[in-house]
Amino acid sequence: MIEIKELSKSFNSHKVLDGLNFEIDKGTTCVIIGRSGCGKSVLLKHIVGIMRPEAGQVFIDGKEVNKLRDKELDLLRMKIGMVFQGGALFDSMCVGENVGFGLIEHKRLKKREVFERVEESLSLVGLGGIEHLMPAELSGGMKKRVALARAICIKPDIILYDEPTTGVDPITADSINELIKRLHDQLKVTSIVVTHDMKSAYKIADKIAMLYQGKIIAEGTPEEIQNTEHPVVHQFINGLAKGPITETLG
Amino acid sequence: MLTSILNIFINLGRRILAYVYFMGGLSNLAVQTLFWVFIPPFKKNRILEQAKKAGIDSFPIVSLVAFFIGVIMALQTAYQLQRLGSEMYIASIVALSLVRELGPVITALVVAGRFGAAVAAELGSMQVTEQIDALETLATNPVKYLVVPRLLALSLMMPVLTLYADIIGILGGWLICVQKLGISSSMYLHITFDALLYKDLFTGLAKTVFFGMIIAFVSCYEGFNVEGGAEGVGKATTRAVVTSFIMIIAADCFFTALFYFILP
Amino acid sequence: MIFGKSRLELKVGIFVFIALVILATFVLLIGNIKTWASGYKVNFVFNFINGVKVGAPVRLAGMDVGEVKNINLIYLPEENRMKVNVVGWLRKEAIIPEDSSVWVNTLGLLGEKYIEVMPGKNYSRCLQENESLVGNDPIAMHEVAALLKNITDDLDQTIVKIKNAEGTVGKFISDDTIHAELVELIKTTKELVADIKAHPWKLFRKTKEKPVKK
Repeated sequence: MIEIKELSKSFNSHKVLDGLNFEIDKGTTCVIIGRSGCGKSVLLKHIVGIMRPEAGQVFIDGKEVNKLRDKELDLLRMKIGMVFQGGALFDSMCVGENVGFGLIEHKRLKKREVFERVEESLSLVGLGGIEHLMPAELSGGMKKRVALARAICIKPDIILYDEPTTGVDPITADSINELIKRLHDQLKVTSIVVTHDMKSAYKIADKIAMLYQGKIIAEGTPEEIQNTEHPVVHQFINGLAKGPITETLG
Repeated sequence: MLTSILNIFINLGRRILAYVYFMGGLSNLAVQTLFWVFIPPFKKNRILEQAKKAGIDSFPIVSLVAFFIGVIMALQTAYQLQRLGSEMYIASIVALSLVRELGPVITALVVAGRFGAAVAAELGSMQVTEQIDALETLATNPVKYLVVPRLLALSLMMPVLTLYADIIGILGGWLICVQKLGISSSMYLHITFDALLYKDLFTGLAKTVFFGMIIAFVSCYEGFNVEGGAEGVGKATTRAVVTSFIMIIAADCFFTALFYFILP
Repeated sequence: MIFGKSRLELKVGIFVFIALVILATFVLLIGNIKTWASGYKVNFVFNFINGVKVGAPVRLAGMDVGEVKNINLIYLPEENRMKVNVVGWLRKEAIIPEDSSVWVNTLGLLGEKYIEVMPGKNYSRCLQENESLVGNDPIAMHEVAALLKNITDDLDQTIVKIKNAEGTVGKFISDDTIHAELVELIKTTKELVADIKAHPWKLFRKTKEKPVKK
């Protein structure tokens, strides 16, 4: 259960999040859609506690994230896996070290156990046997899947995806969608996916929410969103150049 | 007219604020790092890795520069001392200048240019590709994980490299004096070590530890604060090197004055 | 995964080890020349040392055999005056007889002061550890200057007298009569010599006695 209350954040006097309220139920997959640069990634970073809000709170299982002390925050973060947009794999380490990073750093496990967990995570994302490769040797899609493997290797309760299908070809994108679905079904995790890829959103979401001008302006099941009357959401999901979004900006 | 005068003040104010902001951020990083240095777990391997990059990989260029500095020092002092007919003092001047000032400063500048720039670029690109955020989401403090090993490695390797620079610089001076100026080898070495005092050696080495810290803090700070992609990384790298250079020279001035007065 | 770890340790280890060897070499070489050679300390007592510094060389018969380790002021009640005690460190083989003379000398162009010891002849009694030798005072620059001033003052007075035609020398230079008399003297002498040359027999004649027969 993730609750976000009156969350505000601005950069250089530009309000990115403006009193945002939102709730995500345990074990569901929630997709947050919105235009590029509307603050979707910022929202994710607040959930995992990398950014501190100016106002408002984020609660995860009843704990307020930005009031936690370092140790408690670390414990919380060990329950959250985050998949970054570009993968954010550590360049100086091989794939195996990347995936096993959380275990090596924080869990007192034997080398064998780490190897096993890394192998298991990699085969879950369909990339067995590439532990020894360096991130520079991987393609964009592989990087994203390795990043996903790194996120699930610590066996999290929540997985945050930052634009998992952006910048990969449609086939890879679909396989990533399949992967997100499968992980959700198999590991029973709460997933939050930030994307502007509507195809992906319809496929994986239990609930879709639209972020616009720092607020959630609409939320509902994929069907509800698809048949919405809201003009902004309508423009966005249908990808129209003309509409209320572009008018306000212009 | 009035607006242009106002603009001068606005500009000045902006620069002062930027400076205060920089110093604040730098001290904040320094305090955090010094805190995390003492927090377990201590990962020896990461320190060793950085020690190799800062120390062993900088060794060839440090020794090359130190050797040339020794040769130049010998030739330059010879040029002046030959008029007085006291070439004997070349050895002591070369030894004292190298061990007290040139060895530490040259080493620090070379390491700042080589390793400091690499650190700023590495951490900078980690910042723009969200690797630093990724570290945090994996419950790893970036200061602990990235800055502490670099700080420790530099603090250890700076004196080590300076010792190499000192001995190689003296070797350069020796080569000129013995091969070109006809001073006997044993005489040169005797005068060299006769002129040196323990305080010359140890103050020279002690300040390199601080130079190492300056390089580590400035480079990591600039790396962490990269904004705007690849161009930002380039700018941060330049700033890291320039700022390190200035701070090293200023710190050296401070230490030289300090040691001059407390250890006359 | 953990490949190359031991090689990394080895490399860094060797690198630091060599630096430690260099450090040890530096420390040994600096120390060796300064203090490790066996030697002994003696005191040289001066009234005045003309700015000798700690670390200044001590020379025996013109050869560097040690250095000044310490300088301190002492008060000697029996003489009722302050003296300077210079503690010199000397190599073991530098033996100083007690009748040696010690003074402060100046070295070379740069004007570095050092302690010069000229060995004496009585080798039956030599300085031992912590024994003292009274030094000859170097002439201070101001004393030299005072002496020079006295001399020039005297010279000055003499010259003034001469200028004022006082005293023998003054009159000799300024008075014309002496010149005139001298000219007269030389003239008569010339005439006399010419006369004697012309009539050498005059030398043998008794002028006052008239011949008995004519």
